[in-house]
Amino acid sequence: MLKSRLMPALLGAGIVLGALTLLIVAAGKPVGESFQIIVQGATGYPRTELYGPVDAWDAVLHDMTLLLLTGLSVAVALQAGLFNIGAAGQLLVGALAAAWIGTLQGMPGGLHLLAALLGGAGAGALWAFLPVWLKVKRGAHEVISTIMFNYIALYLTHWLVTERLKDPAGDAPQTAVIAEAARLPLLREDFLQASWGLGIAVLTALGLWLVLYRTVWGYEARATGANRDAADAAGAPTARRMTEAMLLAGALAGLGGAIEVCGSQYRFFEGFPSEYGFDGIAVALLAGNHPALTILSGWLMSALRSGAYHLHAETGAPKEIAIVVQAALILYVAAVYLRKRRVEG
Amino acid sequence: MGELFDAQLIGTAVRQATPLILAALGGLMSERVGVINIGLEGKILMGAFAAALGALLSGSPIVGLACAILVGLTLALLHAVATQELRTDHIVSGVAINLLALGLSTYLFRQIIVPREEAGETSVVSMFGAVSLGGLENLPILDALLKDQSWLTLFALALPFVLLALLTRTRWGLRVYAIGNDSIKARTMGVPVKRLRYIGVLWSGVFASMAGAFLVLSATGQFRENMSAGRGFIALAALIFGRWHPLGAAGAALGFGFFEALQMRLQGQPVFGVQLPTDLLLMLPYLLTVIALMGLLGRMKPPSDLGN
Repeated sequence: MLKSRLMPALLGAGIVLGALTLLIVAAGKPVGESFQIIVQGATGYPRTELYGPVDAWDAVLHDMTLLLLTGLSVAVALQAGLFNIGAAGQLLVGALAAAWIGTLQGMPGGLHLLAALLGGAGAGALWAFLPVWLKVKRGAHEVISTIMFNYIALYLTHWLVTERLKDPAGDAPQTAVIAEAARLPLLREDFLQASWGLGIAVLTALGLWLVLYRTVWGYEARATGANRDAADAAGAPTARRMTEAMLLAGALAGLGGAIEVCGSQYRFFEGFPSEYGFDGIAVALLAGNHPALTILSGWLMSALRSGAYHLHAETGAPKEIAIVVQAALILYVAAVYLRKRRVEG
Repeated sequence: MGELFDAQLIGTAVRQATPLILAALGGLMSERVGVINIGLEGKILMGAFAAALGALLSGSPIVGLACAILVGLTLALLHAVATQELRTDHIVSGVAINLLALGLSTYLFRQIIVPREEAGETSVVSMFGAVSLGGLENLPILDALLKDQSWLTLFALALPFVLLALLTRTRWGLRVYAIGNDSIKARTMGVPVKRLRYIGVLWSGVFASMAGAFLVLSATGQFRENMSAGRGFIALAALIFGRWHPLGAAGAALGFGFFEALQMRLQGQPVFGVQLPTDLLLMLPYLLTVIALMGLLGRMKPPSDLGN
């Protein structure tokens, strides 16, 4: 049992290290030194004058917050049998909604932050509604509709931020800066971007673990994902559970966008980073869609990213090394852990 | 309004539609035999990069095209092995291929082409020229469509008819139809389902990478990071909009190409005194696809057993 679980995991680690080595060699950089720089980027050690643990953890924990929430978004939907490729779009509308609420005048100070975060989550859920409705009522594949909604979100938020919600004080396509009362405090005073949003994300992950594995709702949702026909036959309201799981998924991604606005950027702008939505797929798959393990895989992906970015900054090696390794990891995990059970090939 | 719709707009629309038609028909080859292909985007992107690199190193666009097709076949083979042998989820495999293509093409671009640019060498490749059809392109109505087009565009315009003929008039086509109708029954009847799936997925790699090659060898002359810019997903939309039919998919791709051309034309130009936001026009193909999925345009029935 242990052996059958350990071997694939070791092989996976081997693939990551092998792919990294290959890409570093192909980029013409020394392997040993490059790995040292990657570790330094991810942890801050060994410390240099320009880059230390504070910089590394600031970057890693910031990325981890977003990767964790988009990863949870993908994981919750997948547990109920739905593939949410739409986390990127849900994140965008959530971020814009949070920025809009955050810039409103005359909000009660104590509730401003809560309103912005909930508004972001609500907008994300709203964005997930039509795709799941199409799935449940019309049988339209959610992957196709969520991809379409990603692009609609991209152009809609772009239009809004250039035409309707633009900061009147400037020409740049961005909203005004949100109110002080709508901001999440940073984790440490010397951090620049990692906020207490991470705490919200980790608590959310632990809460989802309980909900999915310790409640009737979670049991029914997982049963729906495992085999919808069987769940139907057993009397579970599968269409309802799918709809609710997808709305939850949208809310999680939207909350991620809201936290990015309230905790790090303090505004929405043209080109807001939505690619975290796609990275969430890797985070969820790597964790086997288990919410608690998502914390670990979110950190791992984030550390890999920070390491690759640091390697890029130090040596000029392309930072896309992180993307290639991530792709190899998804393929590997999918081939080993996510095979289809089918009677006949 | 006089200058808004003219021959030039039609020509631009056909050029914009060319990669969409090719990629949509690539998607058709794979989905008609039951393999979901959301990796079209990645194949376009890697195809574009391989075309640029091949043409740059050899000086010949033909070599560039050959390189693109080779790379497209490789990615398609990866998808075929992952879905047919390892029984990976089709969507996960497609997502991974898109990610791989984005990472690898950007990585290689920065490693190989950017240093050349920095050294002052050109990264612009020799492109396919416009083809003459022996005077056919000067006829009144055809001229808007065919004048000054690359042969890849003409190929893309002819391809749906060729595929329709092959799908309805050959043994291969009937077998594909049988798989699309009911793959288990087809297998029982002795149709080599797995082999036909391999063939379908490999053709999708060929056509999608040709779409990428077109972007470099006929449209812009050089590779840029992430230059596929979502065309693989618009092609997927065209495939659904066209109900998995060659003429339907190509027609939808032409329609989406027309919106793109119109959007380029309308930038900063008022229509009937109203300034249309370009974002809304860019959004249109996706909105239309959602409306199609809602069933407002009749029922969309995908091929049976899609994704298994």
